[in-house]
Amino acid sequence: MTGVIVTTINLTAIYALVALGISLTWSGLGFLNLSTGAMYAGAAYGAWLVATNISSNVVVVLLGGVIVGAALGALICLTVFLPLDGKPNWELRTLTATLALSFVGTNIYLWQFGPQFKQFDPLFDFIREFRIGETLVQPSKTGTVIATGILIAIILAFISYSRIGLGVRALTQSVEGAALVGINRRTTAFAILGVSGAFIGLAAVLLGQIYFVEPNSGYSPMIKGLIVALLGGLGSLRGAVIAAFLVAFAEAVTLQYLGGSWVLITLFVLIAVVLIIRPRGIAGVLEGTRA
Amino acid sequence: MSAALEIRGLEAGYGPLSVLHGIDLSVADGERVGILGLNGHGKTTMLRAIVDLVDWKRGEILLNGEDITHATTHALARRGVVLMPQGDALFPGLTVKDNLDAGAYPGGSWKRRKERRDYVCEIFPRLGERLGQVVGTLSGGERRMCSIGRGLMSEARIYLVDEPSLGLGPGIAKGICDTLLGLDLQGGALLIAEQNRALIDGKIDRALRMHGGELAPDTGEDGGH
Repeated sequence: MTGVIVTTINLTAIYALVALGISLTWSGLGFLNLSTGAMYAGAAYGAWLVATNISSNVVVVLLGGVIVGAALGALICLTVFLPLDGKPNWELRTLTATLALSFVGTNIYLWQFGPQFKQFDPLFDFIREFRIGETLVQPSKTGTVIATGILIAIILAFISYSRIGLGVRALTQSVEGAALVGINRRTTAFAILGVSGAFIGLAAVLLGQIYFVEPNSGYSPMIKGLIVALLGGLGSLRGAVIAAFLVAFAEAVTLQYLGGSWVLITLFVLIAVVLIIRPRGIAGVLEGTRA
Repeated sequence: MSAALEIRGLEAGYGPLSVLHGIDLSVADGERVGILGLNGHGKTTMLRAIVDLVDWKRGEILLNGEDITHATTHALARRGVVLMPQGDALFPGLTVKDNLDAGAYPGGSWKRRKERRDYVCEIFPRLGERLGQVVGTLSGGERRMCSIGRGLMSEARIYLVDEPSLGLGPGIAKGICDTLLGLDLQGGALLIAEQNRALIDGKIDRALRMHGGELAPDTGEDGGH
């Protein structure tokens, strides 16, 4: 059982990151970013380049992933959000455009880096491994939880206390209200997509040190992230974190007792059941506000 | 002297629908002008046209002599054109404090947000008691106060107020209108649309009547046909 708990906490951190990236973009700008997977792989390659060429210091590599992720977010802003904002059929066009970009990204990675797996040297080897009961907690897991906690704390502080952060939160609530108080949606979009990209970038490095990096390595995390974001109620950040925990727990239990091939099946059953009962996801429960 | 707000030949509407048919209006610095008229005759559309929240518009709108006809909503807010809209357009998931602070978003006001917030809480003490409360849980009257308070967070050149009494009980509506129209707006002009003449009578400099998308001098009679 301690094994399940340790796996759950570790996965919660990573899924929360990807889901926060998806959910923040959705709530702030109103589109589902299907190039999340390509951003993920891009950030992983970016961090890998940093690790092999610049420094394998853990802070430098993690920052590399975060910065490349944020830059790719800004690129999505330039190539998808700004050209399509306010155009008819916005939902469909942003879906198509981000999906297309995702294929472009994957092929650029294939062309540049080839199909071979890339691997990071262990990032968190300086942390001592320890035991909880029977379970050995590897440095990578401890490091994942700490790094995630730090990034989420920094970004939460930015969003909660800065002027731009207030603009981001206002945009998630009312586009018209935001315009009326002088918030420029188009410039704030860079902050929203940058922060979303930073979350995804960190997740990419943290998973990249456990698995491998290859051109398609972002798709599976993106699907998990979408499941978590939907389960949490698209747009709800608190919902995303709670849903990340539920999904991680379901996955850990499935891994332990049924085996890895059952994971996606369990997750899809979970999301189907939750959405049948609660069509707006967990956020529907959290929001006690009047319409 | 250039007018705070000058509107010339304004036509506006939504899709194929034309709502305003040539509005001419001039509001002097510090002047308070009321627009009376029944629902559906274009009061809201006129205010929304000024801040670029309609589908289309023709004509000319000047702010202190500068052409703002094609300026965007957020740019106008930064230049001191503040709309307190119908339906409030608040941020329901954010606290009263965050909603008010958002009203000070434009660069210069942001640094003075704390003193402005204190000022707004002095005007509406009820907001002061509820600063930490999420706006979605407020009553209708408190929300209206919050919407007006958010507008007052920056020193506007012109405040546009769209039917502050809408959906409120008579007592609270009168209280809010009295408070708002009793304020010293520090030179800012005010354009208020209201259906209920009694709420603004005697507290404004002059009134106009909106009828069928056109403005006419107010005859002093009540709205019916």
